[in-house]
Amino acid sequence: MVKLLKKIFLVDLLRGLWVTLKYTPQPAFTFQYPAERRPVAPRFRGVLRLQVEPATGAQTCIVCDQCAKACPDDLIALGGHREPGHKIKVLDYFDFNLSRCSFCGLCSEVCPTKPVKALIMSEDYELATYGRETQIVRVDQMYDGVPIEQYTH
Amino acid sequence: MGLLDHRFEDNFITTNIDKVLTWARYSALWPMGFGLACCAIEMMAASASRFDIARFGAEVFRASPRQADLLIVAGTVTKKMAPVLRRLYDQMPEPKWVISMGSCSNAGGPFPTYSVLQGVDKIVPVDVYVSGCPPRPEALLYGLMRLQDKIRKEGTVLRKSRVIRVGETEPVTVAS
Repeated sequence: MVKLLKKIFLVDLLRGLWVTLKYTPQPAFTFQYPAERRPVAPRFRGVLRLQVEPATGAQTCIVCDQCAKACPDDLIALGGHREPGHKIKVLDYFDFNLSRCSFCGLCSEVCPTKPVKALIMSEDYELATYGRETQIVRVDQMYDGVPIEQYTH
Repeated sequence: MGLLDHRFEDNFITTNIDKVLTWARYSALWPMGFGLACCAIEMMAASASRFDIARFGAEVFRASPRQADLLIVAGTVTKKMAPVLRRLYDQMPEPKWVISMGSCSNAGGPFPTYSVLQGVDKIVPVDVYVSGCPPRPEALLYGLMRLQDKIRKEGTVLRKSRVIRVGETEPVTVAS
């Protein structure tokens, strides 16, 4: 009897519609992405970035090759040479093949330089290229960051 | 524009057909949902209300390749899936574009094995490679905007051959 009355007065349907109605007056929570950038999580792992000494702008990477050894996919190739005036090796090239990278962060974990870590995972995630050649990040882009086009409509 | 003044009714817009065609193309990119792995979750998040891919006119995820303009390859393409992907790409009507989303479809990702296709560009031509593992929804939207930027520079009637030279990021016009 109760079941029949419920069916006649469409109780289940109205209950479902009430749920919909409760959510309807809420304001929209869409992020207007190109105009507003959502802050990333503190431990977010974006594209790799080489850091310099903040005060002097000197190179911090000591070309120890540990990041290249730690990378599970062998994506990092770096090399340097010794110079008479310098105590550490001078970094010649740092090729980071972005295309396969799974952003695990093992390379920046093993980076031994202190107090400024030479290799960090930055907060840049806008990585879209037109070709596979440009996915290999060279040393100048490792310092300055991958170029990001600004689209603000 | 002195020739055309006062010769037509009011509210008459003149443009060239290339601009209209490219406008129609980049502002209604209907993607085909080709989610293969975890990247598909981010693709779904991008199409949901938080990020709302509908703001770029690409919200209509089609289940049929015949109604789609854009193929978003999201995830690991195994060699068993590769012929299917190629067939679906062939069934899409021209003009069509491909976004390769994520490290797996870009280059095979962490699977340099016998069963995984090492880069989806081995079987279909890819327009935009979105890196990330998986890319955030914003990164996919950024890739979509890059693709729209690319379409905006295309010509249909006045065909300009555009190439991307090795080592450059932007396509350049080649004088023909």
